[in-house]
Amino acid sequence: MAFLPIFGRNIHVPFWELEKMRSHMENVYNALAGGINQFRRNYTGVFPLVNTLEDNDNLYLTAELPGLAADQLELTIKGDTLTLKGAKTVVKADEGANYHRREREVGSFSRSLTLPIKVKAEDVAAVFKNGVLTITLPKAAEARAHQITVQAQ
Amino acid sequence: MTHHETQELSPQEKRPLDTGSAENVSTSPQFSPQVDIWENEKGLTVVADMPGVAAEGLNIDLNDNVLTIHGHLTPASDGRKVLTQEYEEGDYYRQFKLADDIDKDAIAATIKDGVLTVSLPKQAPAQPRKITVVSA
Repeated sequence: MAFLPIFGRNIHVPFWELEKMRSHMENVYNALAGGINQFRRNYTGVFPLVNTLEDNDNLYLTAELPGLAADQLELTIKGDTLTLKGAKTVVKADEGANYHRREREVGSFSRSLTLPIKVKAEDVAAVFKNGVLTITLPKAAEARAHQITVQAQ
Repeated sequence: MTHHETQELSPQEKRPLDTGSAENVSTSPQFSPQVDIWENEKGLTVVADMPGVAAEGLNIDLNDNVLTIHGHLTPASDGRKVLTQEYEEGDYYRQFKLADDIDKDAIAATIKDGVLTVSLPKQAPAQPRKITVVSA
């Protein structure tokens, strides 16, 4: 999965065969690791990585975005598509400093997600805390589970 | 550095903790955070990405010139059903061996928006001291 970013996003298209191969390899790998690794990895190749969670009332999307400028985060919802846009900026080094390590990546991102169920778009709330974005999407009435009581006769 | 600001971010899988010769028997996953470290004549600064870690969950210590950073997090998935998972949640742990000239009492750390900054000032250089040798 390391080679795609090297070429930059503009040349992704000619490499779609490779990308297909990569995702195939990933599936094989995940299937092999399945016994040990309890996680279902849904690698999409788009930043940020998002986990989808739910409880009875809400759907939750979470993403780890350390150092993100929260005021630069743009969240839109249209129909069943949610779009996340933002940028992670550089922490400026001190004057005249030399780097020992430089591993943290900075840059911009934009990702669209298709919501698995119907939600009340007007009641969606987003919280950014400790570098983790949590989007709470209340489920629409028709998407909620209803308990059905079985009558004994 | 401008190209750095405008480039698109690509997702990266977290680096599992390298426990060296010690075998890991921890049940929850642990990760090695990504860091920037820079140094100038005043001191050393360590910046580490530790999303999900609050100040209360942070443990930093310096022992025998080894700086240990440990961040504990409460997973967002606690008490909720996971539908799809693209990233794993777990504690962060990393150690650095430092030079001798760090002023241990002046180390300061802050965490904001999941980014830890540790500043390690250097000690003032020792003043040369002239020793007079007296003949007995």
